[in-house]
Amino acid sequence: MFGVTSFIIFYMGFLSFITTSDKLIGTIMLGFSGIVSLGTLIGTFYISRNITNPIDELINKMNEFSQNNKTTKETKTSHGIHELQYLHKNFHKMTGMVGKTIEKEKKLNRQLQEMDKRKIEFMSMMSHELKTPIMPILGYVQLLKKQELLGELNDQQLDAINEIHLATIRLQKLIQDVLTAQKIDLEKLNITKDTLESNEVIDLVYKAFSPICKIKNVHLEKNSENHQIVSDSDRICQVFSNLISNALEFVPEHGGKIEIGSYGQEESVVFFVRDNGHGISFEEQQNIFKKFYQVDASLKRKKEGSGLGLSICEGIVKALDGKIWVESRVNSGATFYFRLPKKTIQLHHLSNCETIKRI
Amino acid sequence: MSDSLSVKKELAVLIIDDNEQITKMISTFLRLNNHKCIIANDGKYGLDTLQKERFDVILLDLAMPELDGYEILEKIKSPDKLSRIIILTASNITKENQKKFKEIGITTILQKPVDIDVLLEKITTISKC
Repeated sequence: MFGVTSFIIFYMGFLSFITTSDKLIGTIMLGFSGIVSLGTLIGTFYISRNITNPIDELINKMNEFSQNNKTTKETKTSHGIHELQYLHKNFHKMTGMVGKTIEKEKKLNRQLQEMDKRKIEFMSMMSHELKTPIMPILGYVQLLKKQELLGELNDQQLDAINEIHLATIRLQKLIQDVLTAQKIDLEKLNITKDTLESNEVIDLVYKAFSPICKIKNVHLEKNSENHQIVSDSDRICQVFSNLISNALEFVPEHGGKIEIGSYGQEESVVFFVRDNGHGISFEEQQNIFKKFYQVDASLKRKKEGSGLGLSICEGIVKALDGKIWVESRVNSGATFYFRLPKKTIQLHHLSNCETIKRI
Repeated sequence: MSDSLSVKKELAVLIIDDNEQITKMISTFLRLNNHKCIIANDGKYGLDTLQKERFDVILLDLAMPELDGYEILEKIKSPDKLSRIIILTASNITKENQKKFKEIGITTILQKPVDIDVLLEKITTISKC
C-alpha cells in the first residue's frame, strides 16, 4: 500500500521532470519526489516491522489461545513500538496465568471425580458392612424368642429380648434410611420403570400397612381411581411407607384415621396420604422436606425417627420426575401428595445391562 | 421336638458366606429344625463342596473375598444346582440383575438381614421343587 504510494509520488516527479521545460524545476521536482518516495518507503518498512507485524503476531497468538487455551512460547519481540512490546509481554503473562488456572481446575476436577468415586465405593461398602451384623443379632433374637428351640425364658428375660428386638428393628430402619438418603444425594438411586396400575400399587401398600394400623388402632382407608402409569412400583411403595409411618406418629391415639389413594390428571397421577393428626403449621411446612428436620426437635420429643423420611420421599419423587407437596392446617390433619408423570419422558433411567453387574 | 417338626423331611443345606457369625446363626437355627448343614466360609470351598455333593438348598452370599458369589454362579453349569440356590446378600441388587438371576433359574433373592422364619419358609419351598 505505502510502496504503491511511494512509487506514484516518484512517478509523478519523474513525469514532471520529463514534461517541464525548466530543467532546474524538473530536477528539483525529481529530487523532491525521490526523497518523499524514499521517505514513504522507509516509513512503510518501519510501520510494517514495528506495528503491523507485531499486531498480526498478536492476532495469531490470540486465535491459537482461543482454540487450545495455550500459546506457543514467547517470541522475542525486540522490535515493535514500546507500547506493542508491552502489550505482547502482558498478553503472554495473561495467557500463562489463564493456562495455569485451567491446569489447576483440571487437576481439581480429576481429584473431585476420584473423591466421588471413592465416596460411592465407601457408601456401597458401608451399606454392606452396616447391614451384615444386624443379621446375626436379629436371627439370635428371633431364635431366643422361639422358646421351643433354645428353652423357656422367664418374663424378665423375654421382656429384655423384646426390647433388643425393637431396638434392632429401629436400627435396621435407620440404616436403610441413611443409605437411601445418601444414594439420593449421590444420584445413585436405582430406578426401574414398568407399566403399573395405580390401584395395584395402592392395594399393595394397603395390605402391607393394614396389620400395623390394626395394632395401633388406626383406621386405614383406600380411595383410589385406577390409572396406568410408567414408573417404579418399589419406589412408590417406599414413598407411601415413609408417609404412612409419619402419619401413624401424628394421628390421635383414639379415632386415628389414614386415607391413601390416587387420582388421575391429564398427564399425571397424583397419589396421596391423608391423616387426621394435629396438622402442620405453615412455617413448619416450609421445612419438613429438609433433611434431619424434626417438627419437634427437642431431645425430649416423643416421636422417633431419623428426620430423613420426608427428604427421602422428596428425593425419590424427584428421581421419578415428579413433585411432592403437603396441604395442611393446624388441628385439621395433613395430606401429602405426590404427582408422577403417566409416561416416562426421559430414557436415561433405563440402563442397558448385558451381564450380571456387581453393584 | 414337636411332632410337626419331626415329620418334616431332613434337608441338606449348604451355606456359603464369609461371615462366620451369620453361618453359625443360620446353621444353629436350621439344625434346631432338624436339618443338616454344611458351612463354607469361603467361596472356593463352597464351590468345591457344591460340585461334589448333592444339596437340597444352597444359601449363597454374593460379596465375598477372592471367589465371590457372582463368580460361583458363572461356574455352576447344572440347571438343577442353580435352581436350588437362594441368594442371601446385604448388597443391593438391581432389577436388571434380578432378571438375569431369574434367567439362569434363581428365583429367590433375600436381603440381609432376613427374618429367619421367612428364610426357613423359602428353604422349604425351594427344597420341594
